Amino acid sequence: MSKIKIGLPSKGRLKDESLAFLKSKNLEVMNSFGERNYFFNIKNNSEIDGVFLHAREIIERINDGTLDIGISGLDLLKELPDVYSQNVKIFKKLNFGFADLVVAIPKDWLDVQNMADLEEVSFEFREKYGRRMRVATKYPNLTESFFLSKGVSQFRVVPSLGATESYPFTGSSELITDITSTGSTLKANNLRIINDGTILKSSACIFVSKKIANSKFLNFLK
Amino acid sequence: MKQGLEKKRLKEDLSKKILSNFKKNKFIFTDLDLLIDTNLLTERSGEQFKKFTLTYKDLFGKEISLRPDLTVSTALKYIQEKKNKEEKYCYYGSAYRLDKEGDLKVFDQIGCEIINSNSDKSENILINSILEPLKKIKKLEVILGDVGLFKVLVESLELPSRWKLRLVKNFSRKEYFEDMLKRLETNYDLDQKAIKLDTKRLQDLEKLDPNEIIGGRTVSEIIKRFNKKIKDPRDSYKGKKNVNIIRDFLNINTSIQKAESAILFFFSKNKLNNLSIKSYLKKISRINKEIGKKYSINFKTNFGRNTDYYTGIVFLACVKKNSKIIELARGGEYNGLLRTLGYKKNISAIGGAINLNELINL
Repeated sequence: MSKIKIGLPSKGRLKDESLAFLKSKNLEVMNSFGERNYFFNIKNNSEIDGVFLHAREIIERINDGTLDIGISGLDLLKELPDVYSQNVKIFKKLNFGFADLVVAIPKDWLDVQNMADLEEVSFEFREKYGRRMRVATKYPNLTESFFLSKGVSQFRVVPSLGATESYPFTGSSELITDITSTGSTLKANNLRIINDGTILKSSACIFVSKKIANSKFLNFLK
Repeated sequence: MKQGLEKKRLKEDLSKKILSNFKKNKFIFTDLDLLIDTNLLTERSGEQFKKFTLTYKDLFGKEISLRPDLTVSTALKYIQEKKNKEEKYCYYGSAYRLDKEGDLKVFDQIGCEIINSNSDKSENILINSILEPLKKIKKLEVILGDVGLFKVLVESLELPSRWKLRLVKNFSRKEYFEDMLKRLETNYDLDQKAIKLDTKRLQDLEKLDPNEIIGGRTVSEIIKRFNKKIKDPRDSYKGKKNVNIIRDFLNINTSIQKAESAILFFFSKNKLNNLSIKSYLKKISRINKEIGKKYSINFKTNFGRNTDYYTGIVFLACVKKNSKIIELARGGEYNGLLRTLGYKKNISAIGGAINLNELINL
């Protein structure tokens, strides 16, 4: 029988908490090939091969069949096209990695409290400046669907790779959507979350490939 | 069901006949561009537009779409050719749209458009030209509406201007519109706690330079809208009453002969200002005089909402087959479209197209 291939986040708090979670299930990760090597084994378990990857990559690899199991963020799966959800199943939502994807506006936009206000302002903005409002985000698909579901159609997504909070103050966008756990980075950058502007409540999840959904190994992760 | 070659031949024969009919009515045949600059369309219709068009990037990163309908292509042609007088176009070609599953659907259409006409006969000429090739079809039904009437209704209601704008702008988005009506009839739309806090922060904002830009908007713009919003709250009782009026209005469904009196009765029953509906009623009456006897026409206020560029008269010709409605032709007035695509001002325009794929399957 071929080995089960697991992917774990390669850095940060998500990596640390994933390792701790596996340890709590008696699955201790061993860096048998050295600290800087991306491959790992599980102590006293020869059924498993592991690799550390970028959290986004983990979902991609489960989808293409390279990995069987992985820990990553729900937000990253939801951002991908629906076809991914057919191959990548959520096995379990974990008790860490909590974060919300939210709509944030400059805090001084006193007249905007909710998405309905934003809808109206976006029409006025287009009339006045002859262009659509720009929303900077690392999550273009989720943002687009959410805005349209709330009636905001006069916007344009500006893809961002990082430091999204700075965009409204550098003239690169008017507002943003971003992932936040405490809201403190948004606040420190003079941004405010819109009242009904939570797009997604995310957490870390165990994702499994459709083809191993019945594997007995999954019982260890329950 | 007709197959392959036979279908193709039938389509060609039909299109020749219909085009010659259009030409008799002084429409000039035009070849339309297959590709459209995506930016032109998203600037007009917003991002949702991309959901149903096949879009790709050219070598220079510019987004291009396969034309989703032929009316937009005709309007672009008028602009590109720098026309400034009445033009009567006819065309034959395909429109390409993605369905909900993302599959490409091709619609073979043959249609005509009248752009920039001052004549009050243009809607009759256009509707007649589209219906003429269908007149021999048994049990042909025509549905007529006027989306401009909804705007008149909303203007006559006691509502804050931001709600009027919202209702009119989202009239073409049925699901979201329904959500809005529910909000309008139940919730109070201002968060009093937040307003109290924000009123304090307003004082700080008022100390800033009014022209200072915050996230792309000027300080004065933000203050103006905030003040307008708190001084123009929505009364929840009136909200409920207005929603009832809107729902009742959207239920008007009568023969074209009775449409004028039904609308007048509705406005007077609800004590609404009906001064601005006269021009709309005149138009309906003209259509009734010209073609009301030739076809079975029903007037529905709820009809024609799916296309966001329609501004006035809208029509559909259809037949019922095994309890399914088969749409054979549709069209309408789009007096604001050309300006949003780049023309210097709003001009009158009306167009319609016959769905050849459905017609040959009858």
